[in-house]
Amino acid sequence: MAEESVGERNRTNTFVLSARKRTMQKAAKTAGEGVLFAVASFVAVIVLFIFYFVARDAVPFFQIRGFSEFFTSSNWYPASDPAEFGALAIIYGSLMVTLGSALIAVPMGVAAAICLSDILPFSIRQYAKPVIEMLAAIPSVAFGFFALVIFAPLMQNNGGPMLMWAWWILVSPFMLLAVIVISDLLTTKIKEQKRRQQLHIFFLIFFGFLSILLLFKVGTVLYGIQILTGTNALNVSIILSFMALPTIVSVSEDALQAVGRDLREGSYALGATRAETIIKTILPAASSGILAAVILGIMRALGETMVVWMASGNSSQIPEPWFNYLQAIRTLTATIAGDMGEADQVTGSARFHVLFAMGLLLLVISFISNLVSERIVVRQRKILSGQ
Amino acid sequence: MNIGTRKILDRSFTAVGIGSIIVMALALMFVVVPIVTNGIGAVFFTGTVEHRKMLFNEFKRGDSQGLSSEVASSDRYRSKVYDMLTGFEAELETMAPEKKKEYKEKYAQVRSAVQALLGPLPGDSTPMLTRFKYGQTRWEKAEEKLHDLLYESKWDNSNPNVMSKEYFVSRAIGFEGTSLVKLFPYVKDNLEKMLLPDFTVYWGFITDSSVDSHFFGGIWPEIQGTFFLAIGAMLFAFPLGVVAAVYFTEYAKPGFLNSMLRSANSTLAGVPSIVFGMFGLAFFINTMKVSESKSVIAGALTLAIMILPTIIRAAEEAILAVPKTYREASLSLGSTKWNTIATVILPAALPGILTGAVISLGRAAGETAPIIFTAAVSVGSAIGLADVFSSPTPALSWNIYNLASEHEAASQIRHVQYGMVLALVSIVLLLNLSAIVLRARISKKLKG
Amino acid sequence: MTVDAKETSESAQLQKATRDIYLPPERKKISGDDTIHISAKEFSIYYGDFEAVKRVSVDIISKYVTAIIGPSGCGKSTFLRAINRMNDLIPSCHTTGALLFDGEDVYGKFTDEVLLRKKVGMVFQKPNPFPKSIFDNIAYGPRLHGVNDKKKLMEIVERSLKKAAIWDEVCDRLDKNALGLSGGQQQRLCVARTLAVEPEVLLLDEPTSALDPKATAKIEDLIQELRGSYTIMIVTHNMQQASRVSDSTMFFYEGVLVEHASTAQLFTNPKDPMTEDYITGRFS
Repeated sequence: MAEESVGERNRTNTFVLSARKRTMQKAAKTAGEGVLFAVASFVAVIVLFIFYFVARDAVPFFQIRGFSEFFTSSNWYPASDPAEFGALAIIYGSLMVTLGSALIAVPMGVAAAICLSDILPFSIRQYAKPVIEMLAAIPSVAFGFFALVIFAPLMQNNGGPMLMWAWWILVSPFMLLAVIVISDLLTTKIKEQKRRQQLHIFFLIFFGFLSILLLFKVGTVLYGIQILTGTNALNVSIILSFMALPTIVSVSEDALQAVGRDLREGSYALGATRAETIIKTILPAASSGILAAVILGIMRALGETMVVWMASGNSSQIPEPWFNYLQAIRTLTATIAGDMGEADQVTGSARFHVLFAMGLLLLVISFISNLVSERIVVRQRKILSGQ
Repeated sequence: MNIGTRKILDRSFTAVGIGSIIVMALALMFVVVPIVTNGIGAVFFTGTVEHRKMLFNEFKRGDSQGLSSEVASSDRYRSKVYDMLTGFEAELETMAPEKKKEYKEKYAQVRSAVQALLGPLPGDSTPMLTRFKYGQTRWEKAEEKLHDLLYESKWDNSNPNVMSKEYFVSRAIGFEGTSLVKLFPYVKDNLEKMLLPDFTVYWGFITDSSVDSHFFGGIWPEIQGTFFLAIGAMLFAFPLGVVAAVYFTEYAKPGFLNSMLRSANSTLAGVPSIVFGMFGLAFFINTMKVSESKSVIAGALTLAIMILPTIIRAAEEAILAVPKTYREASLSLGSTKWNTIATVILPAALPGILTGAVISLGRAAGETAPIIFTAAVSVGSAIGLADVFSSPTPALSWNIYNLASEHEAASQIRHVQYGMVLALVSIVLLLNLSAIVLRARISKKLKG
Repeated sequence: MTVDAKETSESAQLQKATRDIYLPPERKKISGDDTIHISAKEFSIYYGDFEAVKRVSVDIISKYVTAIIGPSGCGKSTFLRAINRMNDLIPSCHTTGALLFDGEDVYGKFTDEVLLRKKVGMVFQKPNPFPKSIFDNIAYGPRLHGVNDKKKLMEIVERSLKKAAIWDEVCDRLDKNALGLSGGQQQRLCVARTLAVEPEVLLLDEPTSALDPKATAKIEDLIQELRGSYTIMIVTHNMQQASRVSDSTMFFYEGVLVEHASTAQLFTNPKDPMTEDYITGRFS
């Protein structure tokens, strides 16, 4: 009844429309929004498609060969007859370079992020940021080329001395710091001033001597090491760590920035030094965000193809001993990239499908880590906003 | 703890942070500097007469008169070498059989070393491959080849515990007492006159196509392929990304569906690049059959999917950065929501969106893994715009890999590889630099 | 029918009361038919569960200036923004009761908020010109509503800028970016931009709070100029401003319309003790 009366009245100069016109308008609006939604959900459709199409070609492999060989054997002879598809060494290689790059990139990345967000003045930060952005922008194939053509020969020819210098430069400052801290801690309990000072100096000399001994002993051992091939897990780990760094730095810097000023000021007001404030107050508050950053950075290393393909040596074996980073290894991504060309022609063979099985494995790992890091970030945001 | 110790710890903490930033900067330099210095060598180098011969024959470039006089003057010095060789060949025939056998093999090495240095000898049949038709075109390579001619490399395997070491033995000693012994000092002294090295600027490296799988010529097919792929990817991803970002920022209502879509976006951003390549192969080529086999369009579509999340995120950020007051002002003037987005919000957000797009363009240009199975070929000439739907293309990123890892003479053409890497890195960094400049200009403009 | 008749008589009564508010003997009468332009009936606005404006009933007569005063967070801006439905931008916002404009329900089922906003213009707290040229800023509204003729646009731009008393200052740099103007100029530009779509009502949401005293005086002069041509509603923190520019004043406190009276009466002889406390500065 209401609609009728509205329809009857003449509304030339008003903001109230006739029922029909309003319905049409609403329908048009809904349709427009529908189109936008369709475009926005395109991304979700693609994700589903990726899972479907990779899984579709991966499943036949497990149907033909089962699970156990793929995950437990390290005999990778896809081209021989009968073919063997043991991917254990390849999976291990992927994990190895990922772990190696994480060991380098995580401490450096977090330290750099802290430095950028809390320590450096703005004027210096301005110049540090583009460096990180440029590092992130350099194409992976350029890094791979560098690793193969410049870094690998360097390592192969000067392996021992390089390792020794790296050990000295990296470890000696920390050793010095440890000596100072340990001697301080050992003497804090002593009440008498003079005795304490004497003991302190004794400890400094004693531990200092010990640490110098250790530095030189290990250094000599490292100097004697012969690197048989420059294309090895260490090379790849170092290069990958530099590719993962920008991600870790920028995401953890965001997390650190999200920790408000109040927390910082509160800690300083209690007489904490900057380092103590950062370690005891800010890092715990930002820890989950930093964890998310680390996960994203590690994923970058795990999913990287060109560097490992070019510079890992592509040898499908578990190194001897298992932690030997100086041997050639092979990763999932490099295997996919390298073998697809040969397997492509014979679509339907186990050799083709095994590569998709590897792709599925990568996809699942990346999906789970993404989900986890996303949850972590959401949770941190909730905690910080006090909900 | 002692206050002194605490202070030392504090300082060292700062030092670790600053140290890691410095390490990053050094790493960047360590990577970029050799690429730039060596890459420039692809365009600026000391070229020999062989280079000019090659340019004239293969690309019809250069002045024929000057070239023929150069060739004549170099031939004057070369003819003595050729004479010595023929003289020794005659001497070889007169030797006793076992001596002849001994020298023959050594002589063959010398002969091929001279061939490598100066090109085919008089009387040789014209080689099939272009790379053997000319001597050394670059002076620094010529000096390496000269070393190969003068010394024989041997490996010292005496100590089984240490890696075998390379050492060099003079070839001249091996020919002591024969007529050939004079050849070595002669070539050493007169190499410059035989090859006429001259400072060369070879811009053709950028604009020429390659000759005999990159032994000579330039990298234009790769550069063009890279542009086709990156711009093609952008043509697909940019409109989609901007529309999706408009939906996410202006229309999406918080809820399960929305958070699912956002999760999908970040999942897509985290998919390893090689998996995009597999998907492109399985979906675009094997299922959708956008082309018979690899093609530019399949590669561009794959890259588009890869950069889509980045573009969406950048566009979202840019749209959210548009002050709310613009929206209010426009709506209060009686503008519809869609009109407000189209006439006020998107124009204001455009520089920000473009910044993200430019960075994504760089990423699309630099990625290799997604195009391995979908678009890239190792050898090929530049393709026409009409062929993008059917034919694959060489691309900088792929060909860097290919030349460095799979080329049959990878170490011979390092300068080409460096040149390619420099070209790719310059393209990507220039795009990023322009993005940084663009961003600085936006913040200036928004401040008024 | 009986219900309607009763309503009519009630509204007639209310109308009379409203006229008393707007037309006290000492105020200059504005020629016009004194129709009720905007009318709220038991009108409430909610943010989620929170009732920001509580059952407000009020009538606003056309062509006069109405000020809305009250402490921060009392719902005065919310009420103002409800009139041209700017609150639609906040997803959790909804209303009960009725708000009538020209006798039509603003929140009715068939209301087109876009056409409504064309009739009810708004100027905001912070000057918000678009990052475009001055000309394009003014021409934005007319273009939206279908004026594309360059000459006609120029006419509209000139007329609007003159009405907003800023023409002399900007006439020689119409193609310059509007963000280059001073704050006060920007705000008058925003008024001009709103006038260019020829609204009937002008809502001003603390238009001078971001401006210096000199620019504020210019805006106040402008409001006096526009009085009689548009129905003007102005939210302000500044009681002197309210007393200077308005014919009637509404005092809001915690979402409740405490008092609506002619400005002279409200500031000299408030009926409600709370109003008195507020205007004498006992709380703010």
